[in-house]
Amino acid sequence: MEVLPQLIVNGLLLGGAFALISIGLTLVFGIVRVVNFAHGELFMAGLFGAWLLSSKVGLTPYLAAVPLVVILFAAGAAMQRFIIQPLMDADPHIQIFATVGVGTALINLALILFGADIRTSELPWAREPVRFAGLSVARGFLVAFAVSMVATAALVLFLKRTHLGRAIRAVAQNRNAAPLMGIDVPRIYIITFGIGSACVGLAAAVLSPLFPAFPTVGTYFALTAFVIVVLGGMGSLEGAVAGALIIGLVDSLAGYYVAPDLKEVVYFLIFLLILVLKPAGLFGVRGSE
Amino acid sequence: MRPLSIAGLAALALLFALPYWIIPLIADAGFWQHVFVTIFVYAAMATAWNIVGGFAGQLSLGHTIFYGIGAYAAVLLNQHFGIIPWFGMLAGAAVSAAAGVLVSWPCLRLRGPFYTLSTIAFLEVVRLLAIHFKDFTGGSAGIPVPMFATTATGMEQRIGWAWMLFRERENTVLIAFGLLVLCIAVATLIRRSRFGYALLAVREREDAAEAVGVNTTRVKLAAVAVSAALTSLVGSFHGIYLNFIEPETMFSLATAIQLAMFALIGGLGTVAGPVAGTLLVVPIAEAARGWLGATANGLHGLVYGLVLVGIVLTMPQGIVGALKPRFALWAGPAHRPPPAAPARDEARARPPIGEPILEARNLTRRFGGLVATNDVSLTLREGEVLGIIGPNGAGKTTLFNLLSGFLPPNEGSVRVRDASGQWVTPDAPHGFADAGVGRTFQIVQPFAGLSVRENIMLGAFHHARSRAEAEAEAERVAALCGLGHLLDLEARSLTVGGAKRLEVARALAMRPRILLLDEVMAGLNPSDVALAVELVRTIRDSGVSIIAIEHVMAAIMAISDRIVVINSGRMIAEGSPEAIAKDRTVIEAYLGEEYVAASA
Amino acid sequence: MRRRHVLAGTLAGTVALAARSATAQGSDLRFGALYPFSGPLALLGDESFRGFELAVEERNAAGGIGNARIRIIRGDAVDQNQAIGEARRLMSVERVQAIFGTYASPLSFAATQVTELAGTPYFELGAISDPITERGFRYLFRTCPVAKFFGEGTVDAVTGIAQKLGQDPKSLRIAVLREDGIYGTTVSAAQKARIQQLGYQMVEDLSYSVRAVDLSSVVQRLRGANVDVVLHTGYQNDILLFYRGMKEAGWKPKAVIGSGAGYSLTDTMKAVGSDFQNTLNVDFTQFAVNERVAPGVKQFVEAYARKYGHPPRSGHSLANFMGARVFFDALARAGSMDKDRVRAAVLATDVPEYTTPTGWGAKFDEKGQNTRARPFLLQWQGEQQVTVFPPEAAVAELRIGLGAT
Repeated sequence: MEVLPQLIVNGLLLGGAFALISIGLTLVFGIVRVVNFAHGELFMAGLFGAWLLSSKVGLTPYLAAVPLVVILFAAGAAMQRFIIQPLMDADPHIQIFATVGVGTALINLALILFGADIRTSELPWAREPVRFAGLSVARGFLVAFAVSMVATAALVLFLKRTHLGRAIRAVAQNRNAAPLMGIDVPRIYIITFGIGSACVGLAAAVLSPLFPAFPTVGTYFALTAFVIVVLGGMGSLEGAVAGALIIGLVDSLAGYYVAPDLKEVVYFLIFLLILVLKPAGLFGVRGSE
Repeated sequence: MRPLSIAGLAALALLFALPYWIIPLIADAGFWQHVFVTIFVYAAMATAWNIVGGFAGQLSLGHTIFYGIGAYAAVLLNQHFGIIPWFGMLAGAAVSAAAGVLVSWPCLRLRGPFYTLSTIAFLEVVRLLAIHFKDFTGGSAGIPVPMFATTATGMEQRIGWAWMLFRERENTVLIAFGLLVLCIAVATLIRRSRFGYALLAVREREDAAEAVGVNTTRVKLAAVAVSAALTSLVGSFHGIYLNFIEPETMFSLATAIQLAMFALIGGLGTVAGPVAGTLLVVPIAEAARGWLGATANGLHGLVYGLVLVGIVLTMPQGIVGALKPRFALWAGPAHRPPPAAPARDEARARPPIGEPILEARNLTRRFGGLVATNDVSLTLREGEVLGIIGPNGAGKTTLFNLLSGFLPPNEGSVRVRDASGQWVTPDAPHGFADAGVGRTFQIVQPFAGLSVRENIMLGAFHHARSRAEAEAEAERVAALCGLGHLLDLEARSLTVGGAKRLEVARALAMRPRILLLDEVMAGLNPSDVALAVELVRTIRDSGVSIIAIEHVMAAIMAISDRIVVINSGRMIAEGSPEAIAKDRTVIEAYLGEEYVAASA
Repeated sequence: MRRRHVLAGTLAGTVALAARSATAQGSDLRFGALYPFSGPLALLGDESFRGFELAVEERNAAGGIGNARIRIIRGDAVDQNQAIGEARRLMSVERVQAIFGTYASPLSFAATQVTELAGTPYFELGAISDPITERGFRYLFRTCPVAKFFGEGTVDAVTGIAQKLGQDPKSLRIAVLREDGIYGTTVSAAQKARIQQLGYQMVEDLSYSVRAVDLSSVVQRLRGANVDVVLHTGYQNDILLFYRGMKEAGWKPKAVIGSGAGYSLTDTMKAVGSDFQNTLNVDFTQFAVNERVAPGVKQFVEAYARKYGHPPRSGHSLANFMGARVFFDALARAGSMDKDRVRAAVLATDVPEYTTPTGWGAKFDEKGQNTRARPFLLQWQGEQQVTVFPPEAAVAELRIGLGAT
């Protein structure tokens, strides 16, 4: 069996999982212009939510997506309304630290509620491999990949075709001019933050059979998500997906050909290179940085 | 010395006296001394961080790179070569300063969150490499600080001042406090120096900083180097104090975030802020752990997180910002009685127009397919006022940016005759500033957080040797520009007219020999325009050559000796104001061909 | 076997006695318990503490040490700076006479230096990094086995596997796989030393960050190298990722041998599922062990379940329980908390092997390290982790073949 095709497939599928987590971040980052350091912790909360719903209520983890999307939308919107919004005029650095505070509180809340144990949403089906053309992949990853593509396409359509979506894009392009066109910018921010968080809820539900929940799991994904968002270009959904696939491939290939403990080094170096050479990201609009 | 400086010093003295003398009188001070060492260490590092994060406005979340380098330098040299940590400390500081410059160089042009993320990425890379190259660093297995060492002469106890390890714990208080004082002293010196003002200028508005002659890259790198070296010194001490170092702790992102947080909570860019922030947060964290640690796992972390959010929401300006009236004197500039009413410069005889002082040859600048400036040549003579007019979008501001070095031309060149009479062709804005070119910006954005005085001082620092000299210059120029009574006002509260005059004053404080004025009269009411015309004349009469872009026709006609007309990037006419007013092509450009045809 | 009866009889009255001890504060002995109660190490930090707590309750129920009751003062440390702070707080504010801890090696390094300089005895019950007791400290003592023994235990298990397979152990292709933190690095260094010493062949040496979210490329490397035995040192999350990766790739080695931590947790077994069957593990004594060599282990499990409402989550509690007991006995013999008398009494300790609930003996060298503690070789069979080596401690035969068949 050839190892390279397998590594590429593994990398792309992992990229699909990363994409799910990153699209919410790129929305918030690109439109509200807030670096949300609690993004990983929202994902962690989602994983615990999926675990609770599957083990206590008996909901299939995938179906848990419905309540989780709603709950995380509300949580994200509330965070924007009550924590970020009051700081919109303050030094942008201050907003970063507000989100750091939220993240710290969430990690410790999880520790109090669930302990430091890992919790796995039971869905053995998702971990069973599918074999085709000499390749072998877990079903759960195929599902995650498909969902991430559909979710991204849906979001892109939403932003392009709906009135609300156009308003969101208008705010992203010029937050000063948007109010002149009758757009309620603070409301757009709240909705955007909500949508960004809802994406995380979706990601958590879909990935919960593959990744166990524990209080610090968010920090494992957060930095990667930031790398992906910057790589793809702030606020660009297509960019986030492309960035996620690239980072997934790097993870898989560098883990094999370089060394597993240096794969993060490789993708941080790529990240730095992109920042220095093309700060707007692969798909970003020049000047948005 | 000012009263609040004394108050600050007294507070510092008390901070030291508490763990060193007072608490030991009451109780066994072991724990409290540790708490104070922790506070001193974090306050020192937050103060060092603030030089980059606060003064220069570059939010670094990778500062533990330098903390770790300091610790590793001290411990590795101790372990392998038996070198005392005091030397290791200096070596670490040197390496850190160099590393800081190397790491920052490619990242400094990044703005806002991008710079921040790049510092995080560097920190992660450094941490992972420290783990990977374990033959050099000891890897994750870590290195214990040797307390005993076997030497040729037998067992040597490495305890005492030389080794920075003590049985008497108050000595660690002494060293930690010494480091804090060092960091505060350096920060204070910087904040009050020309360098500090340059940093503030960079933070507030990079282009305007360049215009007043600040080499923004160099000052940012200098700030990073100083900050990295200080952080490293503290790291060396703390590494020894922790007694065991490994990459996860020494290159910790969480610690890096905390340092920035202390400074931010205290008040960015002030000297007292980082210390105040640390003093508030560290005891809260310690108390939370002491009281809540035993009740439920994680409860104290939850409280800590919530308190953090609470502090940020209630005091977004930081503690020092919230208590500004009391701290302003310590943190900010000296208060002086307002200067006496300005002695109006008596109208001097206007100096004659002399030799060329600035020459532009065949300037062309393209943006993609758009040619914004197309083969423009012009000459400015000494003592002359050259007006540049043209319809909106004609490329006037691009031309200005070419003339002041903010944009490099695609073709052609600009040369300036400097003070010594040599012709030079600088390649960066600060180079033009050095050659004697001052400029204003069309969109006036004073350094909003600074006072009018400080804004003008930023220009004066271009030549002033001392702070006092810069202040004196600022007062003189302010009087000239009619801002004398507004010196202590925050620049953000100026009227449009005031802000435009401030823009001119800042450029003027540089003592330029050539002044480029970009629409300083646009948007002013008629009486302000009259004032501005008078101001330009006064400047001209003091021997400064001027190029002015202006929309207000009457004004430009009144002040200019010669006028150049630009349309679609090309120079379409040049001549005396009277000639230009009658020029057919000019009227056409402004009002359209039909108008010319109809009136012909 | 006398102690067994004491233990069984007295633990029942624990609650009442604990209440009584709180009132008799005047003559109390105050002992600090320094563990990571929060942060990423909280789970096993807390598990370790429970063993210590049970030992204290048992001792208090039996009259304490020289008629003085023991009071526990908890100290929570997540990182080194906090370990120093808590050690200082325990000594100066809480005025403890000795500190017990620590589970995590970095915290132990930091805290013990502080207590050493202050001359307060420090009893290490669970941190395994070898250099902790190699710094020439006089008032630091450790009961638990060190990383070196974990390295030896895992590599020697390869010998056992080879025997079962009827192969020469030198023909087996061994891979060392580890998380790149202090735990993985320390243990794997000992493993590599032992592999070299025995002349076995190591074909891969891979490490990965604990924050890795995918280990499929690691699995591909192992598979490419045609590995027979994987010596894996990791935490719960990465063990899950590793097994998920193997399942995904449809590949597995002949055996996986863990080194404690995540491999000892029932939750890990449940989360991985049937693929975890027959996974080997070298760790502190677990609960399915031959009672002849670990007298009192049953009673411990019962007492634990009574107090906390569920069976122990790992053997860390047992190791801390055993260690605390050894030190309590030594302190009772010392007759005072004077540091040098404590040292003399600890060094005079002589408990033969197979007489304590962990099966370990206690005999300390000049450095303060217990020389009679060895980890056992365990195997996940069914829902349980059973001891399979050494033969006298074993309750089941070593099985070959990874995963349920």
